[in-house]
Amino acid sequence: MSSNLLRLKNLSKCSISSNWAARAFSTSAPRQVEPTIKNDIALLNPDEIEHKKKMQELITVEGTTNLAPISGVPEEHIRERRVRIYEPPKNCMQSGTSNIGHWQIDFDARERWENPLMGWCSSGDPLSNMQVDFSSKDEAIEYCERNGWQWFVQKSSLEKKIKPKSYGINFSWNKRTRTSTK
Amino acid sequence: MVIKYFGVDRFFTFLRTIRDAGGIRASLYKLYRFDNLRPGTLVGTDKFGNKYFENPTYFYGRNRWVEYAPQYGMEYDGSQVPAEWFGWLHYKTDYLPMNDPTRPKYKWMAEHTENLSGTPGQYMPYSTTRPKIEAWVPSKCK
Amino acid sequence: MLRLTISRVLNEAKSSPKHLFVATRSQSGEVKKPEKIEVFIDDKSVLVEPGTTVLQAAAMIGIEIPRFCYHERLAVAGNCRMCLVEVEKSPKPVAACAMPVMKGWRIKTDSEMTRRAREGIMEFLLVNHPLDCPICDQGGECDLQDQSMAFGSDRSRFTDIDFSGKRAVEDKDIGPLVKTIMTRCIHCTRCIRFASEIAGINDLGTTGRGNDMQVGTYIEKLFMSELSGNIIDLCPVGALTSKPYSFTARPWEIRKVDSIDVLDAVGSNIVVSTRTGEVMRIVPRVNEEINEEWLADKSRFSYDGLKRQRLVTPMLRDKDGELKAVDWEAALVTVAKVIKHAGDKIGVIAGGFADAEALIALKDLLNRLGSEALCTEHTFPLDGSGTDLRSSYLLNNKIAGAEEADLVLLVGTNPRFEAPLLNARLRKGWVHNESNVASIGPKIDLTYEHEHLGDNPSVLQQIACGQHQFSKKLKAAKKPLIIVGAETLERKDGGAILSAVQSLAACTQPEDSHWKVLNVLHKVASQVAALDIGYNPGIDKIREGNLKVLFLLGADEGAIHKEDLPKDCFIIYQGHHGDQGANIADAILPGAAYTEKQATYVNTEGRAQQTLVAVSPPGRAREDWKIIRALSEIVGAKLPYDNLNQIRDRLDEIAPHLTKYGAVEGANYFKQAEQLSKNTKTALESQPIDVKIKELQDYYMTDSISRASTTMSKCVQAVLKQKQSKYSN
Repeated sequence: MSSNLLRLKNLSKCSISSNWAARAFSTSAPRQVEPTIKNDIALLNPDEIEHKKKMQELITVEGTTNLAPISGVPEEHIRERRVRIYEPPKNCMQSGTSNIGHWQIDFDARERWENPLMGWCSSGDPLSNMQVDFSSKDEAIEYCERNGWQWFVQKSSLEKKIKPKSYGINFSWNKRTRTSTK
Repeated sequence: MVIKYFGVDRFFTFLRTIRDAGGIRASLYKLYRFDNLRPGTLVGTDKFGNKYFENPTYFYGRNRWVEYAPQYGMEYDGSQVPAEWFGWLHYKTDYLPMNDPTRPKYKWMAEHTENLSGTPGQYMPYSTTRPKIEAWVPSKCK
Repeated sequence: MLRLTISRVLNEAKSSPKHLFVATRSQSGEVKKPEKIEVFIDDKSVLVEPGTTVLQAAAMIGIEIPRFCYHERLAVAGNCRMCLVEVEKSPKPVAACAMPVMKGWRIKTDSEMTRRAREGIMEFLLVNHPLDCPICDQGGECDLQDQSMAFGSDRSRFTDIDFSGKRAVEDKDIGPLVKTIMTRCIHCTRCIRFASEIAGINDLGTTGRGNDMQVGTYIEKLFMSELSGNIIDLCPVGALTSKPYSFTARPWEIRKVDSIDVLDAVGSNIVVSTRTGEVMRIVPRVNEEINEEWLADKSRFSYDGLKRQRLVTPMLRDKDGELKAVDWEAALVTVAKVIKHAGDKIGVIAGGFADAEALIALKDLLNRLGSEALCTEHTFPLDGSGTDLRSSYLLNNKIAGAEEADLVLLVGTNPRFEAPLLNARLRKGWVHNESNVASIGPKIDLTYEHEHLGDNPSVLQQIACGQHQFSKKLKAAKKPLIIVGAETLERKDGGAILSAVQSLAACTQPEDSHWKVLNVLHKVASQVAALDIGYNPGIDKIREGNLKVLFLLGADEGAIHKEDLPKDCFIIYQGHHGDQGANIADAILPGAAYTEKQATYVNTEGRAQQTLVAVSPPGRAREDWKIIRALSEIVGAKLPYDNLNQIRDRLDEIAPHLTKYGAVEGANYFKQAEQLSKNTKTALESQPIDVKIKELQDYYMTDSISRASTTMSKCVQAVLKQKQSKYSN
């Protein structure tokens, strides 16, 4: 839990320092804003100020957090499920890459059965449609640990060496890359 | 009048009812079947053998009834009344089916069937989807 | 045609020593790394190697430029013009896919000019593209759909519907796998480039110009390639779609499950698309180390075989000799009784689809019963080091390594049909790396030129002792590769061939000490795992054993017949298809196919990978290891694992690499294996080296799944018909 909050803090820092935000601040015309006067602080005595400060800070809990006993997820779906952590690859049917580059988790597929009349498919598995996205593998692992699920990471080998491409090699006379059909 | 005053006529009605039902034994059976034994005029019988009675001395709602045909035994139910008698029995009309001038009769009208739910003849929905897996059928031995 | 002959002449000229010299010099020239140059894309600086295209440079910093014709794994065509971008101080937009960057260029991928250029191109493309997205199979995963939403105009100026209308093109018939709707074609020529570069088939091409341009096969013929399904994936529009998948499902209603293909020993990564508990299609999943993003046709299209000829219920042979369906209890009790009665006179033959979990469970069970007769259906020589050293039965240099080799010697294998994706790698090396290939075995068409060294096994010895002209080349090669087909090693003199190849590999001098010369190419997915676990290759033990019970674990290749066994031998078949194994069985235990279980397979490189459950096993069929576990309890030799994790712990105990999914556990001890191989008793025979699958029609139906597939049988018919045509070459 603690690291999660920390991450949130980091995220907010990042977003402020990121480009668009900076641009947004710089390009917008300076507006006249009435300064807010917080006179309630002035009225408090030092002890109360100290207490208020403490209340605004984060509580750090030592050790790992286990949400499983209090999350309300049925025992069966904690003990028996196996979570796969993976990096979705590009859909081979398409060339777009915007919806990849993150990590995902999904659960093992359970039995589905067919409606005898219409042939529709049913499942009794509430987690079958759950796919959660994460920005990194470690975050996904931490999430699974917190929820008490067994997990495994599916190794992906999506990295490839970038080799400069050339239009010219289609026509080079002494290479096998010369195209014979067009 | 006197007879009526002392309620003796009820005794005669009782006797007549028993006689109409076909004796003591038959009356007891009828009482067992329908929880009821009342006097009434037989107004008609449908082709399944159900008998329809009327007794205007009873109040409205109790004065028309059906005695199911003996072949049904204890397994009688309301759907065994054919459509033409249904109207008379439920006071939709006062005409008896054979007297009703508006009742259409066509060749194509289907035979009345009782509700077959819960019996072997009941309708069972079946899958109209093609099987997704074709199972292997072992080859016959030579 | 003229162009073709010229290229042939040129290719022949290439093998001359002069050309080799030129090639080596140019390679040594590449060693000195040129300086990187800096360009700015959307004001972001990026350092790239000279020669990098604008599109590649943008991809490095995560900016995606829309494209239709450009594909990372194909040559640059530069004909769709969708990738036009503005370059500062350039009067016209440039095609990002073909233009190499220059120093200091400032490229704008989202400027007004770029956007207007894209919108214009999109309008041109859409003018001649039918508006049939609702009935198009590509709908939902169509590049044209997506990019017209993102970059196209918000209104149409196309009004000429009454006068000349939209362009319409006649559909082509290029076989039972790929459906063509040529009106939808936008002439990106990806399919043409795939066919000529990767599949090595120069059948596809264009005719006409401008509005009359058509993509086709010139004369109507079958697209005779074992990789033809990939042009479906490549097509950015719905011009090429899958024929078996047509009108069956939509991409958004599909569940995608990542899995592993087991129809060859390559272990291609796949995505199994399922809907309503049924496998709808199989598409490749990117794995740079194995299949890149291609998939062979048998792996892609034989999924309909998973729905036919299935064993869905346990069966027992009754007194009349007929197989009758029974329930699990009756089957297990009967089988257990027979096994108990047999004592240690029980043997196992594991077939090509057996997973590591089932293999280990069965081995544990038999060992508990006191039997060691565990065999694989496909044999492997036990002479020399046999299967004790992994290096003698793995594709040691890995699949990705095949494209780096400069000299490849194929011994008794036809990689084109035994492992089409390995062949694609070899062809990639041949095209881009100028590698040379030689083969010993029958004359076959590998889709690239190769030197045929004859089919006599003695050629191996000749090369080893330097009498053959090829031995010089082999010694001079910096990255030599010898690939031996497992089928050749099944010969009687397999041990001698392996030992000859081992000594041949020992006398090469690879530049890099990590380069592994000796490679064995297996044909079935289970073999490496079975050998790792400790199964005996070949069924000799079964034949000699005088067995009372024989357990066939998906063994369908007909390696054993009833005549080979004692008359009272009880045969149990556990598997998923009713094929040769089930026909001779006395009891049938229905197992799960590879799409229905989470199971471990080890590919020919020694890479452990796991399949995931996409659909549940049909009827009463169950996961294989669970059946064996249940049986063990009734037999009275209870196996100590109750769930997948526990059985995987057991795998881990025996061979830790079996549970390191995705990683290759490399093998070593080549020298020791070679020394041991010198003790080989068998001698080379004079019988010529042969392979079973020589032609395309032999490729499609090789195992119980593909034999049950109607799509595959249609392919065989189509190829045979094409062979009779007067236009076949």
